[in-house]
Amino acid sequence: MRVIPSLLLFALLPAAGCVFARQDVNEPLSATLIEQLQPGSTTARQVVELLGGPNQVVQLGRRTAYLYEASSTKNAAFFTFLLNLGNQDTRQDRLWVFFDEANKLSHYGATYGTHRTQYAMPWEDVHEVADNDARDASRPGVAK
Amino acid sequence: MKGWACWLALMCTGCITAEYSRVSVNEPIDREVLRALVPGQDDLTSCLAALGAPLDVREYQVDADRASGMALIWYWSNEAGWGAKASTVLRGVSVSLEIDWTGIDLPGCVLWFDRDLKLKFYREGMVGQLVAASRQPSAFDQ
Repeated sequence: MRVIPSLLLFALLPAAGCVFARQDVNEPLSATLIEQLQPGSTTARQVVELLGGPNQVVQLGRRTAYLYEASSTKNAAFFTFLLNLGNQDTRQDRLWVFFDEANKLSHYGATYGTHRTQYAMPWEDVHEVADNDARDASRPGVAK
Repeated sequence: MKGWACWLALMCTGCITAEYSRVSVNEPIDREVLRALVPGQDDLTSCLAALGAPLDVREYQVDADRASGMALIWYWSNEAGWGAKASTVLRGVSVSLEIDWTGIDLPGCVLWFDRDLKLKFYREGMVGQLVAASRQPSAFDQ
């Protein structure tokens, strides 16, 4: 009698399915363009000419800051009747540029992550240093 | 045997489904790098070089002359957990109930800078609580 449940489960397995999906928001930021920014001399106008319109503008007292961002999400899922397994990995490229009251660039900080997204199963670690380093090496201006 | 039959019947109709999922958003800040920052010595330039770009920037301590400090906020998520979904049809209407046991609060860190953009202090923890605890009225509110 114990054979029957196993046979039924085996019969249901072909009904399983899997999905891979990717969603990108905005173009990844260009590290080589961002390297052209010069704190103390680049103006807000030059930043916008170089990088386009920002995603967000924040007023910080007499200073302002612009945010440029892009994101990449990779989804992997495995479906059966009994159990669904899913993983969603999202990373961002972000650039914050800070301007003084004369609209001169005073500081900037950049993070590049969109190239590090991975299709994975939920038990996998998608933040391994070796993985990240290998992916960084293939992106111009990002490798350490 | 009856239990197996019921379970298989539910499975076949897709009424009850267990889920195991992971949601990963951005990468955690390196805790050693964060703890190497020295309030009063490090400034915005060195902090951005060490930690990269934050996810959010907020105004902090606006003075009467409109000069202000700022708060830089990082957060991330790497949560895995079980969930369950049950669905059925009641009087011709599809009804479903979904239970998700994955975390909903996000770990992170916040760095506060004074008006001269020197690092004043930083905190690690659940970022919503950190921001709420330090929230001050903005120039607009005043």
